[in-house]
Amino acid sequence: MDLLSNLALGFSVASSLANMAFCLIGVILGTLIGVLPGIGATATIAMLLPITFQLEPVSSLIMLAGIYYGAQYGGSTTAILINMPGESSSAVTAIDGYQMARKGRAGTALATAALGSFFAGTVATFLVAIFAPPLTTIALKFGAAEYFSLMVMGLVMSVALAHGSVLKALAMVVLGLLLGLVGTDIYTGTPRFTLGITQYSDGLNFVALAVGVFGIAEILRNLEDEHDREVMTKSINRLLPTRDELRQMVGPVLRGTAVGSVLGILPGGGAILASFASYTVEKKLSTNPGEFGKGALAGVAGPESANNAGAQTSFIPLLTLGIPANPVMALMIGAMIIQGIVPGPNVVTEQPALFWGIIASMWIGNLMLVVLNLPLIGLWVKLLTVPYYVLFPIIMAMCSIGVYSVASNTYDLFAVAFFGLLGYLMSKLRCEPAPLLLGFVLGPLLEENLRRAMILSRGDPTTFVTRPISAILLLLTLGVLVLVFTPQIRRRRDEVFTESDA
Amino acid sequence: MKMTLPRRLLLGAALAMGLAGTAAAEFPERQITLVIPFAAGGSTDVVGRIVADRMSKSLGQQVIVQNVGGAGGSLGGQQVAKADPDGYTILMGTVATHALNPLILKQKPYDPVTDFAPVSLLVLVPNVLAVHPDLPVNTVQELIDLAKKEQLAYASSGNGTPLHLSGELFKSMAGVDITHIPYKGSGPALTDVLGNQVPIIFDNLPSSSGHIASGKLKALGVTTKERAPSFPDVPAIAETLPGYETYSWNALFAPASTPPEAIAALNKAALEAMADPEVAKRMGEFSATIVASSPEDLGKHVTAEMAKWEPVVKAANVSLD
Repeated sequence: MDLLSNLALGFSVASSLANMAFCLIGVILGTLIGVLPGIGATATIAMLLPITFQLEPVSSLIMLAGIYYGAQYGGSTTAILINMPGESSSAVTAIDGYQMARKGRAGTALATAALGSFFAGTVATFLVAIFAPPLTTIALKFGAAEYFSLMVMGLVMSVALAHGSVLKALAMVVLGLLLGLVGTDIYTGTPRFTLGITQYSDGLNFVALAVGVFGIAEILRNLEDEHDREVMTKSINRLLPTRDELRQMVGPVLRGTAVGSVLGILPGGGAILASFASYTVEKKLSTNPGEFGKGALAGVAGPESANNAGAQTSFIPLLTLGIPANPVMALMIGAMIIQGIVPGPNVVTEQPALFWGIIASMWIGNLMLVVLNLPLIGLWVKLLTVPYYVLFPIIMAMCSIGVYSVASNTYDLFAVAFFGLLGYLMSKLRCEPAPLLLGFVLGPLLEENLRRAMILSRGDPTTFVTRPISAILLLLTLGVLVLVFTPQIRRRRDEVFTESDA
Repeated sequence: MKMTLPRRLLLGAALAMGLAGTAAAEFPERQITLVIPFAAGGSTDVVGRIVADRMSKSLGQQVIVQNVGGAGGSLGGQQVAKADPDGYTILMGTVATHALNPLILKQKPYDPVTDFAPVSLLVLVPNVLAVHPDLPVNTVQELIDLAKKEQLAYASSGNGTPLHLSGELFKSMAGVDITHIPYKGSGPALTDVLGNQVPIIFDNLPSSSGHIASGKLKALGVTTKERAPSFPDVPAIAETLPGYETYSWNALFAPASTPPEAIAALNKAALEAMADPEVAKRMGEFSATIVASSPEDLGKHVTAEMAKWEPVVKAANVSLD
């Protein structure tokens, strides 16, 4: 009954008029910046930090949290409409969401994303409330060896992201891994592949890479063939999903929520893996995997639920341990310190109103988001009817501002231009950008943890199989490989071959 | 008449210039940018934002915080070193930007002494040596004894950071070998020590303090010469290893050849900010000790810090391209 009284306390805090207002401001701001391509939650929260000085600690954290999960909602809008993922997690949504939009099903895709996110957000919030402390214990069991095995699993699964040739997908993963090597080697301090440019010594900016290979490349492709786009914008179907589509959504949303909730807890990389993992699961379970990459509803519903569930559960390590799972969470810690709250395990016991207030506000915020977003779908879809010669300069300008605002680094803009051209070249060669992005994100984590595990085990590679969690993850990886390549599973094998011919 | 018009114009122009001259003397006449050379959310960022907020009130102009992270603080430092020396661009310097990086980096992005005009040394922040509660040691001496028998490892926020070098100084003074495990920042390093993946950590006291208070980390010693007021029960490492002293610090710098009036105005605003009881309370919660020095004293401090760290950097054989 402890939980109930805690939740009651939380709701009494979160439902005060002022806190409801800040929650609303947060989710509206989050949705807006999510929709503006390139401008992410990190930059916005950094810009808003000074404002939170004047607020009550709980109000400011409620608002900042609202911006964060609001941006997760909004980010999928641009991914679906203009193939421009603003956050790493919406890169997966772009694969099938954008294809749906091209077929005139933008409204359905957006509604699917909103409903899936709402469900996942609600469930994950309750998970946070119930399981925060025990789940944190699990996250702490993940050392370097476990992370390495998790990344191996992620990379193996990434092959399933390909809907073209498997060989090309592998090539893209490897290119992504190589791009991920750019920057300072954390063990020796040696700069690698930075071309002597200090501005690249912390690596290439993820947003710059994503905006380049997805967004700019897409603009170039569209400019080449304006005719195509007009077809797409003229045939917009109804906005809300049919009963049949809703039924198709249920499975992927449930599975996505489960996958996202679990992976979101792991600090570093966990939340990123969630949407990729969910996509893989859906593709493997689908009766019609050939549809993936060409506008599959499950390819939007699953990953969207996963990324929203992950966004909520990534608050668990923050609130129970004071450990940031991603850059946004690091900013939240900064906000707490500025407010005079020392982040750490004591926050739950010393500031119960703050802890439970934030959790309750997440539920309220998710409800606000779905109420806010469903009517907005019509408006977003209308955006597609804006003439392209008006739309694309705006997109370019927003992207540039967004990328620059992350680190005030002009070299990030050069990176956008370069990766835009690379992305265009890739589309001409029929190579997929999603596996490249996954390689780019996972590569540095893979390397960092491999080397850390080897240093800790003093050069003994058996550490990966003698540690139980790591061993289980590697076995699962092996399982995925077997599933993909075993001839006994005839139907599956056929799919692999049709995919390589496609 | 023909003479008066240009004369009037000249007079007007002279007046206008005179006015402009007076206005410039009354620094600041527009907003000031405080460059923080690290990502938002870290300890330098927090100190910077609290101080910038209070300085805005004293100066009557907004002090805008701009985070220019990257290359261990070198990018932000470089940006301010190259900025117009008018006092409108200032830097929140640290032990990393103004002592360690210049010693460690083979290609120097700037000279910490000749490229900057010191404004004020604001705070000293202690570091702490802490271990996972399962490690069977309770004092610095017991840790040294254990390290002589077993191969241990310690986590730090990265290669060449003040925390790494605090660890290296500890090793060389204690005569032990402990494997260094670098992370990308304090957060992930702390996570692995809390999960007992790595048993020992050198961390900034502010980021560890919550875990020490709750017993999830066992603090063996602070790195300052004396005990930290916020943790009077935690001994100083110097009580076991006499002469051991490291700490992080935050100080304001302007580009070299910034007008003395601007420096004086900035220093005055900084001292006012640090004297504010609300700021003092925040810094106390943060385990930071307020110094609020004169520009001259900050200049001497930088020279002294470089002299102190040079042998450590050489002994640890840390050098980055």
